[in-house]
Amino acid sequence: MIKINNLTKHYQAAQGKVEAINGLNLEVNDGEIFGMIGPSGAGKSTLIRMLNLLEKPTSGSITINGTDLTALSSQNLRAARQKIGMIFQHFNLLSSRTVLENVAFPLEIAGVRKKKRLKKAADLIELVGLADRIDHYPSQLSGGQKQRVGIARALANEPDLLLSDEATSSLDPESTRAILELLARIREKMNLTIILITHEMGVIKDICDRVAVLEAGKIIETGSVIELFSRPKQSLTKKFISSVIDFNIPSRVAKYMKAEKRGELIRVSFVGEKSHDPYISHLVKHYSVDANILYGNIDEIQGVPFGTLILGLEGELDKIEESTAYLKSQGLAVEVLDNV
Amino acid sequence: MFETIMGLSRYNNLMWSGFLETMYMVGMALLFAIIGGIPLGVMTTITRPNHILPNKFINFILDGIINIGRSIPFIILMVAVIPLTRLIVGTSIGTTAAIVPLSLAAIPFMGRITDNAILEIDQGVIESAQSMGASPFQLVFKVLLPESLPAIILGLTLTAISLVSYSAMAGAVGGGGLGDIAIRYGYQRFQLAIMLETIVILVVVVQLIQYFGNKIAGLFDHRS
Ligand SMILES: Nc1ncnc2c1ncn2[C@@H]1O[C@H](COP(=O)(O)OP(=O)(O)O)[C@@H](O)[C@H]1O
Ligand SMILES: [Mg+2]
Repeated sequence: MIKINNLTKHYQAAQGKVEAINGLNLEVNDGEIFGMIGPSGAGKSTLIRMLNLLEKPTSGSITINGTDLTALSSQNLRAARQKIGMIFQHFNLLSSRTVLENVAFPLEIAGVRKKKRLKKAADLIELVGLADRIDHYPSQLSGGQKQRVGIARALANEPDLLLSDEATSSLDPESTRAILELLARIREKMNLTIILITHEMGVIKDICDRVAVLEAGKIIETGSVIELFSRPKQSLTKKFISSVIDFNIPSRVAKYMKAEKRGELIRVSFVGEKSHDPYISHLVKHYSVDANILYGNIDEIQGVPFGTLILGLEGELDKIEESTAYLKSQGLAVEVLDNV
Repeated sequence: MFETIMGLSRYNNLMWSGFLETMYMVGMALLFAIIGGIPLGVMTTITRPNHILPNKFINFILDGIINIGRSIPFIILMVAVIPLTRLIVGTSIGTTAAIVPLSLAAIPFMGRITDNAILEIDQGVIESAQSMGASPFQLVFKVLLPESLPAIILGLTLTAISLVSYSAMAGAVGGGGLGDIAIRYGYQRFQLAIMLETIVILVVVVQLIQYFGNKIAGLFDHRS
């Protein structure tokens, strides 16, 4: 539904030209939650702000449901924007309006009659769980509550697409989880496509279907979240993943392995049902190697088990090689660790 | 003491009409400041670069008008616009005539205050409305003005207080009002008590304006 073609954005800053986005191509499918992660300054905000033309692209096209946004007249663009909701890191609510009036605001802009828009807004406020705060002003709400208002407001015109620019970045972990759950729930309920940008891998891990890793205005890696977590290619991706899943060998294990290195050390990563299969006992039985589990970590990505094991394999060298080949043949990612 | 007070009460009518004249001048000039100054301020802000309707040329002109208007000392403005005052009011003397220079001073003042008040609004709030498809007109009337209303009301309060003191100056050159009384009776005829009384009334008026200005602004301020 969303097609981004050869998109670039250059800024003319006092210090010279800034190439914030550099020939970026991307497709996002209907109904998916697409995450974009990248370090600060990678161009994430620039990119997402071009998706509703808050930022005008230097070149390239953005096609949403067959319409090229960059070709629209300003009046048509305003109409198109009504079908693209957006939520922000700092919520950006109107301080002079109550919760109800804030949520009704986009409907007011769209010219919906007062009675109808207040009813609609009240329903949405109910949906995001703020019915008891309907007449409060934003200043009387917590960050998490403000973001719920932001979400209700973004949904008011029944958009097809929701853009989220670091929507949980200024929230505490508990509110973050609640907001992400809410986003996942409304995606199901309203058949929405969500594009969210974040610098936190935890957000990607919790609710995204697919993800793109952004660095210096380019996508350096993209794929399903499970793919990315189980087979990261770029070092930046690995770095992000290691912030939520511990890949590093604890120093206790490292010390042990240095002290008495025998055989081979391997790191095995597995995804999904494979975690239930008895590989290790198979190794021990059929390849006559000893497998010491030195370190293990099993996590879950959206209900799919995902784990890492560090094994010390002891036995004859060719047996060890055979056993790693066996593990690989079972679809596990195996990495030999020689310099610990 | 008693005699002084009794003496003063002879001037009660004089004081009362002076007070009404001052209120008339200040009130009318404030009205023109609202009608002229607020749109001037809004237009200046929104034509700034990176605001909702950037336009270098218009912004340069409007910003220039505000700066020039604000830099002319009131006493000079009063004299300089006499021909214009004659043209509009038919005379350059009296309270109604004084409204012309008072308004011309208040409009750019209020323009700058409105400009500053709107600039205070978080860019993100404006962008969020833009992301919903708001037109520039909707942005002005549904976002910029409501969000800056408390600051604009405080600005009007400030303008009103400046107008009280300007109106006293206008009184000195035949504009009427409390300033006129202070000069004619207090200074020229050396009736110190009358001068003091007008000062007391002016102080009370200023206090009241500030008090109610704060109160009204508070009614519209939901930021904390
Ligand atoms: N209005 C602007 N003018 C000049 N440079 C900008 C502007 N907005 C963003 N940039 C630059 O573009 C790059 C990408 O910024 P941004 O998209 O905000 O990154 P991110 O959201 O990933 O942290 C940065 O180098 C930033 O300094
Ligand atoms: Mg950003």
